[in-house]
Order: sequence, then structure tokens, then C-alpha cells
Amino acid sequence: MIADINNYLHLAEKIFVVLGTIIYLIFSGIIVKQTSTMSKNVDDKFNAVLIIFSYVHFLFSLLLVLLALVIL
Amino acid sequence: MIRSKDLDKVAPDDPIAPASKPSPSALPVITPLKQKVYDIAGHATSPLSPFLVNPKKITFAEKNDGEEILIALRSHWFTNVSWILITILMSFAPSFLRYVPLLNSFPPSYQFIAVLFWYLVAFAFAFEKFLAWYFDISLITNRRVVDIDFNNLLDKKFSEADLRNIQDVSSQISGVSQTIFNYGTVLIQTASEVNVIIFEKVPNPNKIIKVLQELRSPGIKNQ
Repeated sequence: MIADINNYLHLAEKIFVVLGTIIYLIFSGIIVKQTSTMSKNVDDKFNAVLIIFSYVHFLFSLLLVLLALVIL
Repeated sequence: MIRSKDLDKVAPDDPIAPASKPSPSALPVITPLKQKVYDIAGHATSPLSPFLVNPKKITFAEKNDGEEILIALRSHWFTNVSWILITILMSFAPSFLRYVPLLNSFPPSYQFIAVLFWYLVAFAFAFEKFLAWYFDISLITNRRVVDIDFNNLLDKKFSEADLRNIQDVSSQISGVSQTIFNYGTVLIQTASEVNVIIFEKVPNPNKIIKVLQELRSPGIKNQ
């Protein structure tokens, strides 16, 4: 009985963390969109670097979701 | 008129092209107006300077044909110090977990995910702050003053006023840091739809006022 409850708690924890990382992934997608929109409005020397940074951040967020799914 | 060096080889009607002279379009054009702005505001040394005079690279979506950016302004670098310090603290925070074992009750895999998530949040925080500083830009062109603000993630505010509609320009420097580092707020009252255009926390407000005075003078208007 207690083992079942522990299993359910562990599953709830995992779902909670995975949902959190997915929400963060959406947020990082918004950052990518925001950076490209801003770059279209104001064009300057470092825009390309900033867009690359936003995509790298998005990739790491995706990696976080995959890691949460695999190792938890 | 340009003369050929060896006139014996050239027929009288042959056109003589100046071979060594570069085309005028290849040379950077410094108009008297730009030179005047240089004289008042000086030159910026870094492309990330918050006070760029006659910037060559910067352009904006609403820019008209023939419009030239004379000054591009961002908030003074000192306004970035607080978020840079917070980011540094956030970066070192996971190493303090050894002394305050908050995550020890969780399995190692959860701890790893939590630390990775924390670093991503720290990066996103710093990146957002940098974007806000970098893209919140105020511009003085040869035709108008422009203020572009990105208030949050996807909210853009664009305000502009023709130089002819500027009625009054004032500045406000308040507080210790603004007095020490010479930055403040420039208020531009206009007769346009937007009554006041505010350049917030910009460096050298007195130079900005001088440039705007110069641009509003009748001699410059006719150029």
C-alpha cells in the first residue's frame, strides 16, 4: 500500500517536472520569436549573435525536456 | 579638368577616365550636418556604446528613404550593473547547495535537472535584460526623433516626432549614480500626436540637448 503511494508520488513528481520543462521550452520559443522580431525592427551589428544565442538557449531547453523524460 | 600624363597617346576626342580616383559612392560621406553632430557629441569608440554618433550599422524598420541616423542612444551602461550582479550571484548559487542541502531529499537525477534548469533560467534572465537594453533605443535622425521601446516579451512601442514639431527640450539628472556618471532623462515636448518623447537614462543629456538645438536652428532646417 505504502509502496503504491510512493510510486504514485514519484509519478506525480515526474509529471510535474516534465510539465515544468515543457512550459520552459515554450518560453524559450517565445524568446527566439522575440529576438527575431526585435532584430527586424532595429537592425544593428550584433543581431545575428543574439539570434544564435536565442536558438542555443532553445536547444538547451529542448535537451532539458528530453533529459527529464529519459533520466527521471 | 583631369589631364592625361602621356598626351601623345591620347586623341583629342578620347574621354580620359580618372583611373586612380575612387568613386564618390565608395567614400564615407560626411555631410556638414553630420560634422556638426561630431563636433558637439564627439566619436564613440565601442559599437556597444550607449551613445553612438552617426552610426553606420544601425537601422530601423520605420526608417524613410534618405533619412540618416545622427545619434543612437541606449540607457547608460551603469543601469546594467544590477542585473549583471544578480546574474553572477545566480550563477554561483548552485555551488552553495553543498552548504545548504536543500535538494538532498531528492534523488540525484532530480538534482541534476534542477541545477541545469537553474542555469537556463539564469541565462534567460540575463539575456532578457540584455535584449531590453539593446533594443530599447532612442534615435535622432536628420528629420525626426524616434523612441523604440519593448516593454515586455512582445510589446513594442514606437513614438516619433518631426524635428520641426519639437517645442521644448529639457533634461533631468537625479540621484547619486546619475550625477556621478552623467546620465539622465531627456524630455522632448512636441506638437505631434505624442506630446512628450522621453529618452530614459541616456548618457550626456546636455550634449543631446545641444544637438537638438542645433538641428532645430533655421540654418540646419534648410540643409
